[in-house]
Amino acid sequence: MDYLALYVTLKLALITTILLMIIAAPVAYLLAYYRFPGKSLLEALVYLPMALPPTVIGFYLIIVMSPKGFVGRIWETFTGGSLLFTFLGITIASIIYSIPFAVQPMKAAFSKIDRRLLEASYVLGLSKRATFLRVIIPNSLSGIAAAAVLVFLHSIGAFGVLLMVGGSIPGETKVASIAIYEAVETMNYSAAGMIALSFIPISYAFLLLINRLNEDSRT
Amino acid sequence: MKKICRILILVLSIFLVPLNLPAQDKITVAVAANFISAFQEIAADFEAKTGVKIDATFSSTGNLYSQIKNGAPYDVFLSADVKRPEILQKEGWTDGTFIYARGQVILWSADSDFCKAPSWCEALENDRIRKISIANTATAPYGTAAMEALRKIGKWDALQAKMVVAQTIAQSFQYASTQSVDVGFCALSATASPDGKKGCFYIIPEAPDVIQAACVAKKAKNQKGAERFAAYLVAEDAVSIKKKYGYR
Repeated sequence: MDYLALYVTLKLALITTILLMIIAAPVAYLLAYYRFPGKSLLEALVYLPMALPPTVIGFYLIIVMSPKGFVGRIWETFTGGSLLFTFLGITIASIIYSIPFAVQPMKAAFSKIDRRLLEASYVLGLSKRATFLRVIIPNSLSGIAAAAVLVFLHSIGAFGVLLMVGGSIPGETKVASIAIYEAVETMNYSAAGMIALSFIPISYAFLLLINRLNEDSRT
Repeated sequence: MKKICRILILVLSIFLVPLNLPAQDKITVAVAANFISAFQEIAADFEAKTGVKIDATFSSTGNLYSQIKNGAPYDVFLSADVKRPEILQKEGWTDGTFIYARGQVILWSADSDFCKAPSWCEALENDRIRKISIANTATAPYGTAAMEALRKIGKWDALQAKMVVAQTIAQSFQYASTQSVDVGFCALSATASPDGKKGCFYIIPEAPDVIQAACVAKKAKNQKGAERFAAYLVAEDAVSIKKKYGYR
């Protein structure tokens, strides 16, 4: 049983989820409350990874992150290492791959908040930032939880992007979905079956956990 | 909100516990797919004897090569050809290459009915063959060798419609073994596996020997471990394992 691959998968999915919640919140806020020229263009751009084949995302990430690429070159001058085939590299890939699944439910949750609450907050003298943190976020926890579930499940299922950007290095970039693929390729069906089966309780347990959090936030 | 934070901190702290061994106790090896079975046995033996752990990545030679070009952190590269390690030497990735195995292309089938013809050329003429698997001729050296053999007997173009292209030679064998295809071009090493013994095969004399070279990265994180493995790979114990899997 490839515990290491499962460990990498869970680590990747959790870090992706947490970072994406932080990155996506201001984007969703912008899209939910502001009008500005080019807004529909920005919104389409944010949702683009959902509409693209994972290999297209993987291809461009290789171009950008390789030692000759724009980001890869900068990274190498500062750290001396490569971004491709590292955990950090697949984390970046995973975040880009899942952005739409974080922004969309959050934006929906933010738009649903009663405007009078926000006005009351402003009238009482809270700044926009304080209103965002103390009124909007607490009032849209269920939407944020939904976004977290989607992102988490979407990133444990990622395969093509991660295979292209990360290769398959044990303990670093070999995630469970890649381990299953390789086990099938080498006809090791029992190993493939074990990892595949372990996805079911893990996914189920995380759904239960998020549901629990969701209920707590309402009471 | 506080509760969520507490759970998150708890979960995240799990990941601070390192599961990986420090670099001096392990090496990272990129292995061409035809060598998987033999490599696993060799690696287990090497780990038991030296205490150096091996992390292996298996794929087609071409794919591993392009990963190395893009900065993949492998200490040792076991290619299925001579060409790519030599290019890596010219480019300064490694100081030298050495040959560790010679492989043979075979035509394998799970159904012994397909092996009744006197030669593999005649076996391919069987009307019941609808699909034939071959490894990617651009990235898998065994695929290239199979293609050369088919060109030599003048059947390459005629058989195109039946060809199913696998990404690695291991996948080509997987297709044949699960009978997703009727016959498949595979490596002789596949016949040493339990699944491989269940089928029948022809050696393909027209296919050139697949000469497999390896090299150690100049910038290997664990130079000593990598050199040790390279030496082990051509030493007596490894040679007898390789022989068992049909390498010369």
